[in-house]
Amino acid sequence: MNTLVQRFSTTGPAAEIRKAKEVLGEEDDVVDVMGFGNLASGVPKFSIPGVPDPSAFLKMHTDDFADPSCRIKIKHGTTTLAFRFKGGVIVAVDSRATAGSYIASGTVKKVIEINPYLLGTMAGGAADCQYWETYLGIQCRLHELRNRERISVAAASKYLSNLVYSYKGMGLSMGTMICGWDKTGPAVYYVDSDGTRLKGDVFSVGSGSTFAYGVLDQGYHWDLSDEEAQELGRRSIYAAGHRDAFSGNTINLYHVKEDGWKFIGNYDVSKMHYDGPDGRGGYGYDLRVEGKSSANPPSSA
Amino acid sequence: MSWGRPRNDAVDMFNTYPLNQRAQHGHAHDNFAEGVQRTQQPIVTGTSVLAIKYKDGIMMAADTLASYGSLARFKNIQRLHAVGDTTVIGASGDMSDFQYLQGLLDELVTDEFTAGDGNALAPHEVHEYLARVLYARRSKMNPLWNALLVGGVRDGAPFLGYVDLLGTTYQASTLATGYGAHIALPLLRQAVETREDSLPEDEARRILTESMRVLFYRDARSLNKFQIAKVTAAGVDISEPIVLDTHWSFAEGIRGYGAQTQ
Amino acid sequence: MPDGSFSHPQERQFNPYTENGGTILAIAGADFSVVAGDTRQSEGYSIQTRYAPKVFRLTDRAVLAVNGFAADGNMFVKKVKQRLEWYRHAHAKDMPLRAIARLIQTMLYAQRFFPYYVYNILGGIEEDGTGAVYSFDPVGSYEREACRAAGAAQALVQPFLDNQIYFKNQQAPVGSSHPVHLPLQDVLSIVIDSFTSATERHIEVGDGLEIYVIVAKGRSPQGLESIRNVQELSTNPEGDRVFVIRRELKKD
Repeated sequence: MNTLVQRFSTTGPAAEIRKAKEVLGEEDDVVDVMGFGNLASGVPKFSIPGVPDPSAFLKMHTDDFADPSCRIKIKHGTTTLAFRFKGGVIVAVDSRATAGSYIASGTVKKVIEINPYLLGTMAGGAADCQYWETYLGIQCRLHELRNRERISVAAASKYLSNLVYSYKGMGLSMGTMICGWDKTGPAVYYVDSDGTRLKGDVFSVGSGSTFAYGVLDQGYHWDLSDEEAQELGRRSIYAAGHRDAFSGNTINLYHVKEDGWKFIGNYDVSKMHYDGPDGRGGYGYDLRVEGKSSANPPSSA
Repeated sequence: MSWGRPRNDAVDMFNTYPLNQRAQHGHAHDNFAEGVQRTQQPIVTGTSVLAIKYKDGIMMAADTLASYGSLARFKNIQRLHAVGDTTVIGASGDMSDFQYLQGLLDELVTDEFTAGDGNALAPHEVHEYLARVLYARRSKMNPLWNALLVGGVRDGAPFLGYVDLLGTTYQASTLATGYGAHIALPLLRQAVETREDSLPEDEARRILTESMRVLFYRDARSLNKFQIAKVTAAGVDISEPIVLDTHWSFAEGIRGYGAQTQ
Repeated sequence: MPDGSFSHPQERQFNPYTENGGTILAIAGADFSVVAGDTRQSEGYSIQTRYAPKVFRLTDRAVLAVNGFAADGNMFVKKVKQRLEWYRHAHAKDMPLRAIARLIQTMLYAQRFFPYYVYNILGGIEEDGTGAVYSFDPVGSYEREACRAAGAAQALVQPFLDNQIYFKNQQAPVGSSHPVHLPLQDVLSIVIDSFTSATERHIEVGDGLEIYVIVAKGRSPQGLESIRNVQELSTNPEGDRVFVIRRELKKD
């Protein structure tokens, strides 16, 4: 009875809170007083604009491809690659983020370290990839706690693909490769925001992927040595950084082996062009100008 | 190939549309689809509100017209509203939304009084409340179509704040909404800025009156009848409507005005 | 148009966003961090006010700058502050900087489908005593950086910062190398020059400048106290300290 009175009374604290919620738009979005963010409750909650077509609304305000004058420019990633070979998985990415034609950052970490055995790559919306791959990390840890063993790359990638599929058509944008080593050996899965999930040996994603594939495909075979494989990954991203305006700045290179991933290094694309990774000849400059000018005469002369 | 770009099936791959213009895909919207009417455009509207700080507090002015499109529909509407003894708000934009807000504020003042703790709402609190209400409504895509000025004095400190349908807020010693922000605000700033603490009442009143006159000459949705509210330590005082005597004889000498022979 | 799409009646939809101009920037030093923003708020060609702060102290070691749509920015700061207060009540200490950064990511991403039109830059001191800057996009992607400019004049200021902080396109004299971190006085000069220059060349920047300086616990404030118009905001002079320096910018 008391609660009934409370529910319909127009004065008193309960009524005041009810009124505040109604007038000030307060929602009980924060059950979590501990401050863990909306990840803690398991399933994150999102607020949706109150319009007939929410995804068209989002597109109108954030899609700078359809309309360069749109206000909210979301950062976009660009060239990423991963391939499987006898020595594990090589993951290589560039570090440029663009918002429209502005280079918003040249130092982006496009390899997301999900856990010591799993890597994810970032192409498409930077926030989408960062957020959902962090979320995937939480779920992978829960899997370990529940099952007393590490999650397989297949299962982890499927978790992500099912998740983004549930948001299909809402405007998420991600093209990612989930890479790792599990009981089956090295594994690479491609997952994107359309819900596509593919198992494969060689993938490249992003606007510079065609350039990267060109180099990658001509140099790839299963029996590559570790050094050759790393060089191939680096050389492929360099090619994309050199020819694609939306890719560049630096290269981040990772190598996944049986005992987990290892960060190999960060390489400046311009330095790769002129000097190469070890300073003994660049990928692009010398071979174009050698013997072509008096300042740089043919070596035979 | 569209990676690094948002997925968008409406993307115009071959640039068949002019740059910066999007094709309107999708279906025509059914206006009766939703039972709720939202203010997607204002109907009966008020024009500019002006406000300034002066020596004893703040002063605010608004004419008494509520327009229906270009029709001067209601010529004796009060657009200045006292909230308690320390605050006054002035509204431009949709008058029905303003009336809703008046009801909300009156209720708030009553609740505050009923609490019986001797506490009353301060001007900055009223401003904050209105900002929260208007921001909440814009976030529901159901805006209250107003630009409001909030002014008052509390504990000797004058306050002037702006809030609009988007929830945008700011404070300054001279404020104006609508056309006033373009036509009258420069005049107010020139007359008031740096003199907020010394400006006497009669001069403040004269500055506002002259600005209202300028607005009346140039704003086609305005009226030569307006009210001035002043808030001082003594409380809120909203004047009776003041009618400006205006002169249009000079217009005869302006080319393009009235019946022109050449 | 071929499909006649322009001949259909078009519904004018309410636009819940606007743009309020201004610029913010932050630079991290070895044991300090500087976060600054101008105080002009504008819409289109109108200056709404000459003093609307865009930089806010969150804790004794964290300062947040917001830029974009002012109403969204103010509401976002309000909600971050609320969460930090709850954290204080639950844990009897301030949230660490890197945790605030992650909190901001999740709070922004919660609005993924109705974004806050806000660019955030968080500056402060990490738990290891190093100066840090985190920058965010409107839906929450973030990274730790040494410096970042955002807002109306970002395209004017960021290249200058790249050159002066990262020494991009600069050759170090033979036998020497560029310093990894600059001293506070140099950073303050760069910040002030950035804003006076942006004021000259961008109509939405000007009026006033607020520079927040966060100095790590036990470190010397490097002559900060003697600077004019400086005010200390820290609650505990024994811990990390927050200062604010206020300057005028041109008002035309």
